[in-house]
Amino acid sequence: MALTNDQLMKLYTNLVRARAFDRLFVRRLAEGRLLGFYHSSEGGEAPGVGTCTFLRKEDFFFPHHRGHGMPHMISKGIDPKYYLAEHTGKSTGMCGGMSTFHACAVEYGLYGGAGTLGSCFPLTVGLGWAAKRNGRGQVVVTNFGDGTSNRGTFHECALMINNWKLPVVLVCENNGLGMFVPAKFAHPVEDIASLAQGYGMPGVVVDGQDVVAVAEAVMPAVERAREGKGPSMIEAKCLRFCSHAMGIPDLAGSEIRTQEEIAELRKRDPIPLCRARLMEHGILTREDVERIDREAAAEVEAAERFADESPVTVPSCLEPALYAE
Amino acid sequence: MRQLNYANAMREALMEEMNRDERVFVVGESVLGGSFGITTGLVQQFGPERIVDTPIAEAGIAGTGIGAALAGYRPVVDFMFADFMYIAADEVFLKAAQWRFLHGGKVNVPVVFFAAVGGGMMLANEHSRIPCTLVLHSPGLKLALPSNPYDAKGLLKTAVRDNNPVCFFWHKLLLGMKGEVPEEEYTIPFGVAEVKREGTDVTVVAVSNMVNLALAAARELEGKISVEVIDPRTLEPLDMDTILKSVEKTGRVVIVDEDTERCGFAAELGFQIQNKVFDSLDAPIRRVCAANYPIAGGYMEKCVLPQQSQIKAAIEAHVS
Repeated sequence: MALTNDQLMKLYTNLVRARAFDRLFVRRLAEGRLLGFYHSSEGGEAPGVGTCTFLRKEDFFFPHHRGHGMPHMISKGIDPKYYLAEHTGKSTGMCGGMSTFHACAVEYGLYGGAGTLGSCFPLTVGLGWAAKRNGRGQVVVTNFGDGTSNRGTFHECALMINNWKLPVVLVCENNGLGMFVPAKFAHPVEDIASLAQGYGMPGVVVDGQDVVAVAEAVMPAVERAREGKGPSMIEAKCLRFCSHAMGIPDLAGSEIRTQEEIAELRKRDPIPLCRARLMEHGILTREDVERIDREAAAEVEAAERFADESPVTVPSCLEPALYAE
Repeated sequence: MRQLNYANAMREALMEEMNRDERVFVVGESVLGGSFGITTGLVQQFGPERIVDTPIAEAGIAGTGIGAALAGYRPVVDFMFADFMYIAADEVFLKAAQWRFLHGGKVNVPVVFFAAVGGGMMLANEHSRIPCTLVLHSPGLKLALPSNPYDAKGLLKTAVRDNNPVCFFWHKLLLGMKGEVPEEEYTIPFGVAEVKREGTDVTVVAVSNMVNLALAAARELEGKISVEVIDPRTLEPLDMDTILKSVEKTGRVVIVDEDTERCGFAAELGFQIQNKVFDSLDAPIRRVCAANYPIAGGYMEKCVLPQQSQIKAAIEAHVS
């Protein structure tokens, strides 16, 4: 499918915004002004942005945990200031300051954030079942990593969504790395997408550093699902520039990456790649680039102000949150 | 009044709730055939869209229920045996139980986890558990344990209508138990205990099939010891008022729990009773629970699970 110039601009803008918020979270964690931990998405934003930018507002989605799902949430239309407020324990956070880092934005199809990797899959089956039944034309899009595909829940999900022909798209963001070891330590196959074949659904591999390629692969799969033709899987081969989580070593006890190797990877940063391509085609101008950077910086600043000025959640929130009326 | 057995009482509850609310559906392994006859044939009335037969994939089954509940449906997830629920522990205990709380009350998970519990059939450790403590250790879940057909129907209907995740544990020894079940519509509110038998000497608190054993023990002691038997019917929420009122009257308590003794419900309830009405107690609280072993199979089962004779002995020990 051919994307319009506006759509391409949107992809680029969301990449820049996702990166700006990733930088903000990394900085605030280092400053002791972000609660919990943080798993940077730097270099791996394209699969989330490419997947979520053109989904419908009411489509269900589960983000990947890198960037704590911000590339996905930002692209889905969710204002990240509510996520920052959550991550700083504020009452204005998307979960009222109850979750530190789990996200929730029901009106945007985000029905909660899973902490145990792979627990998105059983819930994907349930949301997919509901989407198929309710006649609202919703699709469920679930992003996960190569490591998460190890879980038995992935296999149960793959089995059930195609058995029931549910409107689901599984997007594997394969950065080739587990916490401390290369992904190949856990996988006997090169492509996670090849697993889709065993469950009778299409599985394709795309360049996950190329946000346009991701969008061009995901959108037909989403439309296919929406038309009732069943689920599919996309594997976006992407990169991780930093360690698994801030403050822990990169790979350890296995094939440790040198600074030179990481510098080489950084040449495939999705933002400059997308920028160069769009500028080359005259879609993006130098002025656009500067404006987008400026707007992203302003958005970050406004989000920080919002979070910092919001009150800390109060203990009286605990009791009413436990049970529904 | 009309007589109905426990299995058919639950079946009727499911049918009535499915007729009442289109959002209700049953999902689980073998629900088309119905392993215990409860859902047998329901597919003819409600279709495979609402009697959803699944692969053997407990996490996926639980997730189907939880995800659909998040999206506004009212699933009854049939785990067959409660022991199989352990396979979906993440889904039950970290997702269903905690999802609303964790997300600041922004989402609800109105799912029923429907499962057979309890021993007595020599099915050993993986088909005999009654995991009450596990459930009670997860604030966010509710827990209903019917001891008879009337309660089975009324509590199940309430469970389906509740906006929270409810573990509905029915006891497999009671499947054929007959009792009065009115034809007209009724539900039983959660958190309302029933005084099954009034007495003045000793209070026995029990749920599920232990209620029936406690009643039998009380009958054996008739004329000698006046035993009050209380069935809380739901352990979360728990009707402490009825229990405390009874304890204030009798001053002596036996708590019966078919689940493992260590760190169990009996210990918790015993603590709460002494904490609240210490001055009313005339003797230390006694408990009769499953021994601190896995549930053995074969003839050894009865050495692990609480027996009527033990309940009787505990009551007698109180007044001797």
